[in-house]
Amino acid sequence: MPTATMSRPALRVVGGVCGGFAAHTGLPVGAVRLATAVLAVCGGAGVLLYAWLWATTPSQGPATPTSLRAVLTRPAAEAEAAPDEHARRAPVVEILLGIALLTAGGAMVASRLGADVPLAFIVPAIVVATGAALAWRQLDALRNVRAAGSSALVVRALGALVLVVLGILLFFTSSTHPNVWTVLTAATAVLLGVAVVVAPWVVRLVRDLAEERAARVRDVERAEIAAHLHDSVLQTLALIQQRAEPGSDAARLARAQERELRSWLFAEQAEPTADLGAQLRATAVEIETEYPAQVEVIAIGPARADLPEGIVAAAREAMLNAARHAGGTVRVYAETAHDRVEVTIGDRGPGFDPAAVPEGRYGVRESIVGRMQRIGGTATIAPGPGRTGTEVRLVLPLTAPDRPTEERP
Amino acid sequence: MTDDPTAQPQAAPLTVAIVDDHSIFRAGVRAGLPPRLLVVGEAATVDEAVDLVAATRPRVVLLDVHLPGGAGGGGAEVIARAAPGHTDTRFLALSVSDAADDVVRVIRAGARGYITKSSSEADVAEAIDRVAEGDAVFSPRLAGFVLDAFGAVSGETAQVDTELDRLSAREQEVMRLIARGYAYKEVATDLFISVKTVETHVSKVLRKLQLSNRHELTAWALQRKLL
Repeated sequence: MPTATMSRPALRVVGGVCGGFAAHTGLPVGAVRLATAVLAVCGGAGVLLYAWLWATTPSQGPATPTSLRAVLTRPAAEAEAAPDEHARRAPVVEILLGIALLTAGGAMVASRLGADVPLAFIVPAIVVATGAALAWRQLDALRNVRAAGSSALVVRALGALVLVVLGILLFFTSSTHPNVWTVLTAATAVLLGVAVVVAPWVVRLVRDLAEERAARVRDVERAEIAAHLHDSVLQTLALIQQRAEPGSDAARLARAQERELRSWLFAEQAEPTADLGAQLRATAVEIETEYPAQVEVIAIGPARADLPEGIVAAAREAMLNAARHAGGTVRVYAETAHDRVEVTIGDRGPGFDPAAVPEGRYGVRESIVGRMQRIGGTATIAPGPGRTGTEVRLVLPLTAPDRPTEERP
Repeated sequence: MTDDPTAQPQAAPLTVAIVDDHSIFRAGVRAGLPPRLLVVGEAATVDEAVDLVAATRPRVVLLDVHLPGGAGGGGAEVIARAAPGHTDTRFLALSVSDAADDVVRVIRAGARGYITKSSSEADVAEAIDRVAEGDAVFSPRLAGFVLDAFGAVSGETAQVDTELDRLSAREQEVMRLIARGYAYKEVATDLFISVKTVETHVSKVLRKLQLSNRHELTAWALQRKLL
């Protein structure tokens, strides 16, 4: 699919230029690669074109914009491990180095054997080429990890540049009649050589900076929007809930909206669905949208992934009953300890006597008490706080956890 | 609470200041308070709030956690700046959310309790009464957070009463019942103790929450540059 602006993919063989060009123009990658190779053979035009495109096209970053949550929860913006850009790179520089060394060796052997090889030209050329290749590689690496203190990389890049300088100087010092003009030409050549090697890197650095600045501006904008929503909309929703009749539609809608907005703004560390608290909260939202009741869930203790489904199902049944028959505020308290899980569902409704369960509510007992018994737990139904309402208490003993539960930090 | 001997006589109404940066919200709270509570002033920023407390010396300050102005410290900054000179003024934090982030900061700054903005008018009035009497106001969620932060879930129990970093067995029982939504009176009935004893336990837990050096609390506070 043709892309709007040409960019080099993060997953690349050499520099990602062929892939990027193919994606940009819609041509098959194989054809582009072949054409580049052919052009490279034709006097090096392909290599030059490749190098030019490599230096001027931006690399595709990991296309994940910083989430709003990361902006809002200040410390959460931990270094997002950047995907390894060099994941599928062929060792191009090493291959080039090998070719350079082979050429140098071959040229020396040939000159020994009496062939007229312009050693004075070939050796400096190889030194320059090697220096340039190394410098580019180091500078590229330097750019990728410049956040980390990379003095070793700087030293290596400088070393490579020195190699370039040496090579260029070799061209001239090996000439037979040095004079003022040779020296001047040498100096100019050195400056130009270094400039050519460093220029692409500088171009990229400048572009990176611009990108970074733009990203920062976006983040600030987002944070402002979030702060505004927090200050105005959430407050208004809270006020509506406070002033509206408890259990009225207005209060319910305001609460649902508040919950939605809050989860969008603040859902720090997206809870894994396996977490008991998260599952209970999801159930609470579901029930609140259907019944005129508020379901408050408080879950404490470490999250455990090895809890049986039954306990959530039983809790859900109890929450549904409370919302349906009692209404008002339903309080769910879940405590996960290392040896047991306990969930309490309390309401302040008319209450009911489990000993005198009418026919119609037999299913209720089965779905709560029976469920808990099947997974090895117990369920007790008793009057709630202050002998009013109903309190369902689900207890599930846990035998030695499959894996050690992580300690709370 | 009028039968409580420590309550103020009817003649002198309980004075309240409302600090919130939303005028609509202030008006709403004001309209919902019973006549025995006298609103002596309103403030919308940290600086206004500090001045208001100094000028009117209210018994209770209803304090929004998120406030503009000052050094950007919100409600906690108001307490830090206004509390030292006015030991008879108590702060009741009001927050749009009851997330631990919002709440623990003001509690550690010295608030005697907190309620969410969606609490009913009756709840707000009751919380003000309680704070005015010097008791702590714990919501179920704050109780849950306390149980979690003090390691009650993993079975840590204080051996001596003076220990700051863990809860005693009784305090854990009280916190568990509050987390389950029990009112103080109901906690007292359930544990066969007096309401006054429940209040004492809750106040002790509040003190621990404010003073404890427990890792969970200090790490949390350090991370947010509160210490």
